[in-house]
Amino acid sequence: MKVSSSIIEVKNLTKVYSTEAGDFNALHDVNFQVKKGEFLGVIGKSGAGKSTLLNMITGVDHLTSGEVLVRANGHTVSVHQLDEDELALWRGQTLGVIFQSFQLLPMLTLVENVMMPMDLCGNFKPRESRERARELLALVELEDQMDKLPTQISGGQQQRVAIARALANDPPILVADEPTGSLDSVTADHIFDVFEHLVQDRGKTIIMVTHDNSLGPRFTRSLQIVDGEVVHLTEAGHRSERKRMK
Amino acid sequence: MQPRWRKVFLDLIENKARTLLVVFSIAVGVFSIGVIAGAYVIISHDLSISYAANNPANVEIRTLNNFDDGVLTSVRNMRGIEDAEGRRVMNIRVRAENSSTWTTLNVIAFDDFAKNRIDLLTPYQGQSAPGKKQVVLEKDVLKHLNVKVGDQLVFELADGTTKSLPIVGIVKDPTTGAGDFLAQPFAYITMSTLPALRQPELYNRIYATVTTGQDDEKHISDVTAYVKDKLNRNGTIVFRTRTSKTHEHPLASTINAILGILMALGILVVFLSSSLIANTLNALINQHLRHIGVMKLVGGRNRQILFMYLALIVSFGVLALLIAIPLGGQGAYGLAAFIAGELRFDLLGYRIVPMAFMVQIGIGILVPLIAGLVPVINGSKVTVLKAISGDLARAEGKPLHKSPRRESAWQRFETRAAVALAKRGIHIPRPFLISLRNTFRRRGRLMLTLFTLTMGGAIFIAVFNVRVTLHDYIGAIGKYFRADVTVDFDQPYRVDKVQQYAMQVPGVVDVEGWQGMSTDLLYPDGSVAETLNILAPPAHSELVQPILVSGRWIHSDDERKIAISEAVLQYYPDLKAGDFLPLKVDGRDEQWQVVGIFKFVGREGILAYAPLEYVAQRNDLANQALSFRIVTAGHDRATQDRMADTLDHFFRDNGFKLRQAQSGLASLDTASESLDTLVTFLLIMALLTAVVGSMGLAGTMGMNVLERTREIGIMRAIGAVDSIIMRTVIAEGMVIGIISFGMAIILSVPFTYLLSLIVSLAVFETPIKTVFTITGYLIWLGLILVLSAIASVLPARNAARLTIREVLAYE
Repeated sequence: MKVSSSIIEVKNLTKVYSTEAGDFNALHDVNFQVKKGEFLGVIGKSGAGKSTLLNMITGVDHLTSGEVLVRANGHTVSVHQLDEDELALWRGQTLGVIFQSFQLLPMLTLVENVMMPMDLCGNFKPRESRERARELLALVELEDQMDKLPTQISGGQQQRVAIARALANDPPILVADEPTGSLDSVTADHIFDVFEHLVQDRGKTIIMVTHDNSLGPRFTRSLQIVDGEVVHLTEAGHRSERKRMK
Repeated sequence: MQPRWRKVFLDLIENKARTLLVVFSIAVGVFSIGVIAGAYVIISHDLSISYAANNPANVEIRTLNNFDDGVLTSVRNMRGIEDAEGRRVMNIRVRAENSSTWTTLNVIAFDDFAKNRIDLLTPYQGQSAPGKKQVVLEKDVLKHLNVKVGDQLVFELADGTTKSLPIVGIVKDPTTGAGDFLAQPFAYITMSTLPALRQPELYNRIYATVTTGQDDEKHISDVTAYVKDKLNRNGTIVFRTRTSKTHEHPLASTINAILGILMALGILVVFLSSSLIANTLNALINQHLRHIGVMKLVGGRNRQILFMYLALIVSFGVLALLIAIPLGGQGAYGLAAFIAGELRFDLLGYRIVPMAFMVQIGIGILVPLIAGLVPVINGSKVTVLKAISGDLARAEGKPLHKSPRRESAWQRFETRAAVALAKRGIHIPRPFLISLRNTFRRRGRLMLTLFTLTMGGAIFIAVFNVRVTLHDYIGAIGKYFRADVTVDFDQPYRVDKVQQYAMQVPGVVDVEGWQGMSTDLLYPDGSVAETLNILAPPAHSELVQPILVSGRWIHSDDERKIAISEAVLQYYPDLKAGDFLPLKVDGRDEQWQVVGIFKFVGREGILAYAPLEYVAQRNDLANQALSFRIVTAGHDRATQDRMADTLDHFFRDNGFKLRQAQSGLASLDTASESLDTLVTFLLIMALLTAVVGSMGLAGTMGMNVLERTREIGIMRAIGAVDSIIMRTVIAEGMVIGIISFGMAIILSVPFTYLLSLIVSLAVFETPIKTVFTITGYLIWLGLILVLSAIASVLPARNAARLTIREVLAYE
């Protein structure tokens, strides 16, 4: 695998939290690459460090050592070299982030929630952005509900709105932290379908964090994290391949 | 609308209670500033114009003896005099036809109302010029007498009989007696009516204007001295002169000073409301951290977030202005109209004051921006991680799972105190302990709330203290007038004769005959500075208890020595006891030694005391007097009034030529009334600060409850019933209220000293002794308890109403 073909490259990533009880290694010397168009699963138990890893990729949290490189939109960016404002703009244009708890703004309608990233990044004219938001809601089959408030729809619907919002600025990468964690299995399955469609038909690269081991086969590849270390890298359908990543 | 501006708009209308709280707290400050600034501009503009429009006399001369048109014509022709009018002014007791209560009026007889050119009257109701045997009243009379146009007014004549005259009109007189707090209300008649009142058709006052330099005090005083000298030489004895500028109301500086004090309080209200705004915005940003985090996660930069919240703050300001500007404009005109009414002049009409308008806009926008800047900047700079986790206390790079914080000193104290009390069988209810602990959870917010409440309380208490201080001073001034009744005669009588008669009246305890001298205080260059009236009581008199600033009181063997009021310092700022002053006495320049300087209220010239023993000799009136001070058995106002009445009839019945018998406290009541008006304004401002304070408390309690919604749910889940939750919240409000009361007690001391100094300098032009009263403290304690309860009941009720499910689902 050529280095330059990867869209995300995580190099020697270490994250240490200092506590009164001593240092706590949340991530230890993590290395991996994500190829364009991959659907990567990050699997681990609660407290294993998977959300921390996601926060390192999105630049939400600072790393202790190592580097995260993202090659998208014709630029190679070392995420942790950017300041807060550059990071916010870069993130808005490059990454779509999806949370377990949806994180929609409760006072805005669904279409306004989807328009918000376009408004903040200024990639689209105000009139275009409404049309685009409508299209994205159509993609997640919520076009007819677009003028409702988040509280007026179900959890699964809210997560689909969150996906539409993540796609607002047409970012090449989507990052999802336990996106199905709050949903029942049927709804979760539906969300997964949307992700698979985005990867296969729209060429998006998706990194998804989950504690659910059984989801492994549905990813292109999956990373298993235990106590801050990547212990497993599994290609889709080849779960026997065991490789300790350093 | 772009989504982010739509979010700002929705934030504004989403939490109506919060928006109202912020908008009203801005509005209160903007309103008070608008009222005071507007009134200041209107008053300072209209007062001088309106005053000048009535062509005020620059010179007022009161003579001892009566004079005729011949003397008046000679005055008109004197150098420097533009115009002069003669009038007869006398004190006459009057009553309404259907009433038995007498009121003393200053009755002014005009030669010809049609030719009135100086001290013009402004028509108010009915006619403004009375005909023969008719009377027109000044509007102020209506405060003392229940009469209207068309009624008969009963005059008491010198011989004890009465004469009724019809009231044909009410006028306003903005100029006569404009500078005199103690002036009695005026009534107007024609000279031709005088015989009906058994008065000679002769003048005893001159009202004159000067040709040039109408706003030059020195020039006016020079002309006055010249006229006075000329009159004295020709046998018309002048006993008092007053001068005033054409374009400056004599009380303008006092009014400006009072408006200045109100403005200072207004600024304080703004200041306090800004701490309330800061508190609310802090809480708002805290509640919005998650939103900020989400927006940053989807591409929002610091500046964008900052502008969103600044726009929110500006919207609060604009809403507040929509309320405060119209109300402030009305209030400004109302306040100006009230002051104008008190000073008997007309405003030039309702108008918007552009200056006040701009100041209000400036304050309404800038103050919330400044108050909100720190929380908003901090909020916009918060990192995504902190914002999403909603925990501001957690800094980046710090542990996610912190070890529990160690017990604070306060908590240790609390535990120990609870244990110690429990050992003695006293159990503090657990919910109350929770309230106590909750009070101190958000220290910054608590500090701002306490600050607002404490300032409000301290000012409230200080205003009550200042009120008592002012009245105490008026009381002390009353000790210059300790006589219960002052009886003035039109001619001198032997002291022992008057004593003999007066002692026959039951209730009379003592009688003293006083004399007086009218002299001129001179500048070092020999020109006249001002009329100096010397009162001459017996040196040992108990009826004057002066407040000496320096030196001593008069002695019976003093010759050419005086004790003089502090007012002399405006001419001789460095004057000390022992110094000599140049006086013109009986037309001769003399040097009199100042033995003491005392405090005195009033603006009617400078007052001095010399011993009767010496003055009687100078006046060549041994054992005689024109004025008698009478002490009666009772000293209250009612007794004094009754005794004045009795003595009045008694002396008239016995053939004495009595001018008036006045009760001792009568003149002080007028002064007290004007002071009460001032105190009322101060109290209104104090109440505004109290309102802002309690709004601050309500806001704090509301925010505290909102942020603890989850905790309240947990408390309910483990069995706390509504009443316990209500009590927990109300107790917390009470604790804050009581702490602020304790702090207000301390802070009220310097505030009282400061406020009474400023007010006394404005009103009396001299610092006075500060007095404290318990009243303000008690009222504020009651008020703060009630306010705290009210301020916390609403949030408490909301908290109690939430169901467990709602609470635990609360994000």
